[in-house]
Amino acid sequence: MKNSTLIKGTAAIAVGAALLLGGGGTLANWNAEASVKPGVISAGDLNITTDNTKGVWTNGTSQIDINSYKIVPGDKLTFTQVLDVTLTGDRMAAKVSTAGITATNGFTGSNVIVSDPQLTVDGVAVPNILNASEKVTVSITLTFDAATAGRTDVTAKYNFNDIQFVLTQQPVA
Amino acid sequence: MRTKRRLQTAALIAIAVVLGLFTVQGTYALWSAAASASPGTVTSASFDTAMTAVNTGQSTTMTLSNGAAATLTLSPAGTLGPGTSVYGGVVVTNNTNAGGQFNTAITASQPTIANVNGGALAGYVRVNAKTAASSTECSIATGFAPVSSTGLVSPAVVKGGSTVFCFQISLDSSAPATVKGQAVNISLQLTARQLCGVPSGC
Repeated sequence: MKNSTLIKGTAAIAVGAALLLGGGGTLANWNAEASVKPGVISAGDLNITTDNTKGVWTNGTSQIDINSYKIVPGDKLTFTQVLDVTLTGDRMAAKVSTAGITATNGFTGSNVIVSDPQLTVDGVAVPNILNASEKVTVSITLTFDAATAGRTDVTAKYNFNDIQFVLTQQPVA
Repeated sequence: MRTKRRLQTAALIAIAVVLGLFTVQGTYALWSAAASASPGTVTSASFDTAMTAVNTGQSTTMTLSNGAAATLTLSPAGTLGPGTSVYGGVVVTNNTNAGGQFNTAITASQPTIANVNGGALAGYVRVNAKTAASSTECSIATGFAPVSSTGLVSPAVVKGGSTVFCFQISLDSSAPATVKGQAVNISLQLTARQLCGVPSGC
């Protein structure tokens, strides 16, 4: 009796396997193919470096040595740094900002104001949205408030420490 | 018991989904690069003004190291008699170490005349003043005038330059003999003020 059951089971498996094998062929349909070449997709580039020249300070009329120059109320000193901006990409846009200014500020409150970076290319002011590789001059201005009264902030120091000029890609609509 | 466990499982899945969504926020990052520069340290100037008495050569800074205003005694030369004058003066020097242009104007206030140990001499004493380029002009009687209520203002004193305030003290010719031997204390205030003239404008 046990052998009979075993034989029947084996037979059922064999029939099932045969059906599967036979049914496989029935899935075949016509097919054809054609080739295309979409080409190579290349990524763009984004980079910013100093152009190996050290930034300079001016007092509005001439270049100064910031290590020896002493400012007075009303002074506006400008630090300019030439940067090589690399921007490659058909829909590339990027903005320059400053970061890492951990200034050691010995001045009182708002007597010293540091501006956002201003950009010029070949001496002409440009908006702070760049689309192509350029040699960009970035400037930031420090203003010692002319309304500073009495002898406030004589011999004070404002140490910029290190500044990072950060080039950040901007989303394009 | 089973329901509680199911709820806990559902809560865990929900938290995981939320955390997953937060993580997805990071995918909005775009390219960026940075370049460093070291602009250095900006230092403000000192505002030092020196005063030197013409007759005695005694000298002091206008502001003492403790921040208080200095007092300088001018001690006019000579003896004051009815109808006569004595002269004194002070040389004021702009000793700032400013990197750029730093002009100052010095203002002498109207003098106050006070009797020392009582007496009536103050009522007969007149003080006139003038500014000069050199201290030698202080003993020249011309150019003196009373100081107005707005004070006597010097010409612009450039960085490292000086100006001179000369004072002429006269005793009225009608002064009575009763004021003989009496003394007065004449005091006035000198104020140095920065003039707007830095290269980039104030």
